[in-house]
Amino acid sequence: MAVASAEPRDSIAVSVRDVGMVFGDVHAVRNASFDLPKGKFLTILGPSGSGKTTLLRMIAGFDAPTSGEIYINDRPVSAVPPHRRAIGMVFQKLALFPHMTAAENVAFPLKMRRHDARAIPGKVERYLHLVRLGGYGGRRINELSGGQQQRVAIARALVFEPDLLLLDEPLAALDRKLREEMQLEFRRIQKELGVTTINVTHDQREALVVSDEVIVMEGGLIQQKAEPVHAYRAPANAFVANFIGVTNFIEGIVATRDGASVSVSAHGRTLPGVAVEETLAAGDACAGAVRAEQIRLAPHAEALGNLETLVEGTVADAIFEGERIVYEVRVPGLGGQLVRVFDHDPVNHLQFSPGDSVCLGWNARDMHVFKK
Amino acid sequence: MRKSRVAYPLTWRVMDGLEGLAARLWPARFEKGLPYLMLAPAVLLVGILVLGLVQIGDSSLRVLDTSTFLMSEDLTLANYHRALTESFFATVAGRSLLGSVIVTIVTLIFAFPYAYLMVRTPSSALRKLLLVALFLPFFIGQVVRAYGWLIILGNQGMVNEALGLVGVAPMRLLYNYPAVLFGLVQYMLPFAVLMLAPALTAIPAELESAASSLGANWLRTFRHVVLPLARPGLVGAGLVVVTLSLTDFAIPAILGGGTQDFIANAIYDQFFRTSDQGMGATLSLMLVAVGSLLVGLVFMLFGAGTLAMTGERK
Repeated sequence: MAVASAEPRDSIAVSVRDVGMVFGDVHAVRNASFDLPKGKFLTILGPSGSGKTTLLRMIAGFDAPTSGEIYINDRPVSAVPPHRRAIGMVFQKLALFPHMTAAENVAFPLKMRRHDARAIPGKVERYLHLVRLGGYGGRRINELSGGQQQRVAIARALVFEPDLLLLDEPLAALDRKLREEMQLEFRRIQKELGVTTINVTHDQREALVVSDEVIVMEGGLIQQKAEPVHAYRAPANAFVANFIGVTNFIEGIVATRDGASVSVSAHGRTLPGVAVEETLAAGDACAGAVRAEQIRLAPHAEALGNLETLVEGTVADAIFEGERIVYEVRVPGLGGQLVRVFDHDPVNHLQFSPGDSVCLGWNARDMHVFKK
Repeated sequence: MRKSRVAYPLTWRVMDGLEGLAARLWPARFEKGLPYLMLAPAVLLVGILVLGLVQIGDSSLRVLDTSTFLMSEDLTLANYHRALTESFFATVAGRSLLGSVIVTIVTLIFAFPYAYLMVRTPSSALRKLLLVALFLPFFIGQVVRAYGWLIILGNQGMVNEALGLVGVAPMRLLYNYPAVLFGLVQYMLPFAVLMLAPALTAIPAELESAASSLGANWLRTFRHVVLPLARPGLVGAGLVVVTLSLTDFAIPAILGGGTQDFIANAIYDQFFRTSDQGMGATLSLMLVAVGSLLVGLVFMLFGAGTLAMTGERK
């Protein structure tokens, strides 16, 4: 399976070719192929059990792929043990050495890789400064806060100037505020050093915030590889549409297709949308996906202006989330389906209560139609 | 009435009755005393032991009158003088001390990979097999096991017969120092593995992955990560093995055949062969002193290892 790549070979840091991993009779990863240009920040996004961590462990060298080959800087690495690969990794539970100080942890890879002993203290200090931990070198690991431990782990993974930085969900255990702070910190350090980075996460927000590119995985298969904006705005299939963002699916049959525009007949109505797959044709069972924030909501149809699709419904639930209100609206015209709608203007906007009659509207280009 | 009986079953009534009885016997205001009450049996047992030590201390200061076979009335340090000057006792003490140190080192070297494999193997079948193999010797008992070695290592034993098949003349494998050390190592191995396993379990496998991704091969991972973190387990296991083998009786008696006596055998001889209670008591006390000194020294140098349950370790 050849993957089209516009990049010249010497600018590719990691190339994964038809890689598969089988545990017993479970296919953890199937036919994974992608290229990652040098200096880019890639996030592999997927639910637990999607094979994303297995793929990362194969790149790190902890597991050997059962099929396919991984190239790092154009060299096949299947026969290279982890300690001979120039890969820095930040582990899920950080895996800092508890019997060493912060500085000793950061110095560890330099000692193991036999760097010039006289240069080690200076280098350790420089990287501790890079992660804003200057002066903390003498602290024991258990004397540092969670965020500080994260920073030590990053410094340790970067200090030997690896070809590649791997992040195995290191932020998963942090509370939300610290997590968002650390996401930006990863982004800053990655940009500052220009190190090629592969991050694994199940947090779609993190994937969108930090990455140059996103790979969405499910069931061991790569579902889509795209820039974050592209993955969000133009999901390649129903799984991606459902996994990133909050999406309403309206099931129906393709009535007509003309170029990219399709009309979907559902529950006796015809809804205009855009086809995603080339192969989608009239008569196919399909699902139209509309994001919760792309639906407008008003007391009357007139207030929705010239939106192409309008449906009427009754508010079933209104959930106040601070910066937005999430409405669940029951739409009899769509078979009594519950449609989720984000309202981002809770101050000036009318607030609806359960039982209120409302009108919903969206544009045809915002309904992506997938094959069922 | 019937309805209420269903709602309030008989077992609950019984429990209520018992709780009421307990409350009458031990009112709530005594509650603070309860932990001390539960401590009482242990304190009592240790207390009796201390009384015994005092008694032994008294005996150790009396010499045996060989004409009357009675202990002397007046107190003297003659027994201690004999124990420290007579070369026989020095030989036994040296043999025991050196033996227990060798046994400890060899046992730890053997036990470490066993415990490591048991903790780290992904196969639960292998883990169970290793555990069963570990506990099996406990069911057999020390004397029977030592006797088993007599059968296997004897002049007409399995080992010599096997050697005979390849043309090697029968060798004397028993009643020498190596045989005793061999038996002790075999006896101590399960204790050491059981003391080491929890310490190794406490080392996350991720640390070893991290070390290898940071450039350490398995040897350097072991040296810089696993070994330092396993130290509490090694100290704990070492203390148990060194004290048990220093004071062991059955293995030197059976596999040494009387030629390889350890301190405990010498004490036995004094009490039950020559009936010199004074000398036996002296040797006992000196064994306690040497053992305590050894343990104290290890505590000072390396900490108490897994034997100290400070909860400091994670």
